[in-house]
Amino acid sequence: MSEKTVRVPYYPGCTMKTKALGFERSAMDCAEVIGFEMDELKDWNCCGASYPLTKDNLMGLTAPTNILVEAERRCQKEEVDPNLLTLCVFCYNTLKRTEFAFGQDEKKLETINAFLDRKYEGSIRVIHYLEYLRDVIGFDNLAKMVKTDMSKYKVAPYYGCLLLKPQKEIGLDDPEDPVILHNFLDALGCKVIDFPAQVDCCGSYLVMREPEKVSKLSYDILADANEYGAETLVTACPLCQSNLDQSQGDKVQFADLDGMPVLYFTQLLAIAFGLDTKTHLLEEHHIDPRPLFEASGSSDGESK
Amino acid sequence: MLINPVEKDQKRISELELATGESISDCYQCGKCTAGCPASMDPAPSVLIQFLKLGQFELAKNAESIWSCMACLTCSERCPKNVSPAAIIEGLKNLHLRDMDPRVNLETMSRDFLAHSPQMAIISGFRKFI
Ligand code: SF4
Ligand code: SF4
Repeated sequence: MSEKTVRVPYYPGCTMKTKALGFERSAMDCAEVIGFEMDELKDWNCCGASYPLTKDNLMGLTAPTNILVEAERRCQKEEVDPNLLTLCVFCYNTLKRTEFAFGQDEKKLETINAFLDRKYEGSIRVIHYLEYLRDVIGFDNLAKMVKTDMSKYKVAPYYGCLLLKPQKEIGLDDPEDPVILHNFLDALGCKVIDFPAQVDCCGSYLVMREPEKVSKLSYDILADANEYGAETLVTACPLCQSNLDQSQGDKVQFADLDGMPVLYFTQLLAIAFGLDTKTHLLEEHHIDPRPLFEASGSSDGESK
Repeated sequence: MLINPVEKDQKRISELELATGESISDCYQCGKCTAGCPASMDPAPSVLIQFLKLGQFELAKNAESIWSCMACLTCSERCPKNVSPAAIIEGLKNLHLRDMDPRVNLETMSRDFLAHSPQMAIISGFRKFI
């Protein structure tokens, strides 16, 4: 699309290389169309997945700090803007809150630097792919790149928790009444289904200990979306995707609800761009989204 | 102000406040955290805090409901007094975990769960339950 491809330093995180490969691949393919390259950090570790909520848990900041140091070095060396792109909402939340904590408390940063024996200067700004689309590319410009007629799809934007909270630290959107995914879907030309459960929790990591509760919470969210007329849901979080999608295998809980596909927002973007989605692993979702989109021909490559 | 705290518990409550960075006395028991909590916790978040306000440290620490918190942060985000019930609950959980009292058993954990869950679920679960 654009003349010169911008390279943006990118931190994938563990899930993007395993269970959410389709998320990463679709995001990268779309980035190419839009005109930027997700430039993966060479040396990265797990961010720890959940940001420690208690003040005494400094240990939980070491893993994300290692990543921020790596990103800082890369940006300084290559003289690019000190942004670090993320896709996974858990990584985004953990890294963003670490960035915020250091901004508030220099002593904390000194302690972690001393412990790690590295020197993070605090320059990195953690951003989410959605944020990049909104603030750098612009949803208006995104809309001009859409090739597929998306107007027949009724899509519910599902936000969950960690993309938005705590608002004071993340600052992406209003946690009670967010619009970023709505506006994204609008740009694609979808019929956006606004539904009350869009910010309700799917149960998160409780799936390890109380999967029945996660089934129930997922059911409540999907039943709500269904009631408001949605055919499919989009999310930015691999754990929300997994919980909402896999829970539908619970035939008792989901007895009165037809299967509803849960897509990564980039998988939908790829369909809107008319890209070949064969490598985007749509078939790996528990509820196969392909039948819904087959009419557009997008699963077979270019559509006109 | 804490009402009739047992002396030993008063000390442990102060330690919990120090560890979490939260101030228990700030909570004025409006119940907004509980109203929005999706985890159907019993005792509910505001009740756990009430125990602490009353000096009943053990009641809060040993409440089974703390293990059902999924750190969605709805409570912390909505609290009009800037208290984070989620942080207090995590502080209580940490006391168990640091005492080598885990809440999931790796030996009996379903292989299916480990094979099919996204990494963040497994890693977060390890952090919150082990
Ligand atoms: S919302 Fe805040 S002030 Fe109200 S009961 Fe909960 S912790 Fe206390
Ligand atoms: S963070 Fe925990 S206590 Fe607070 S609303 Fe969510 S599940 Fe309930």
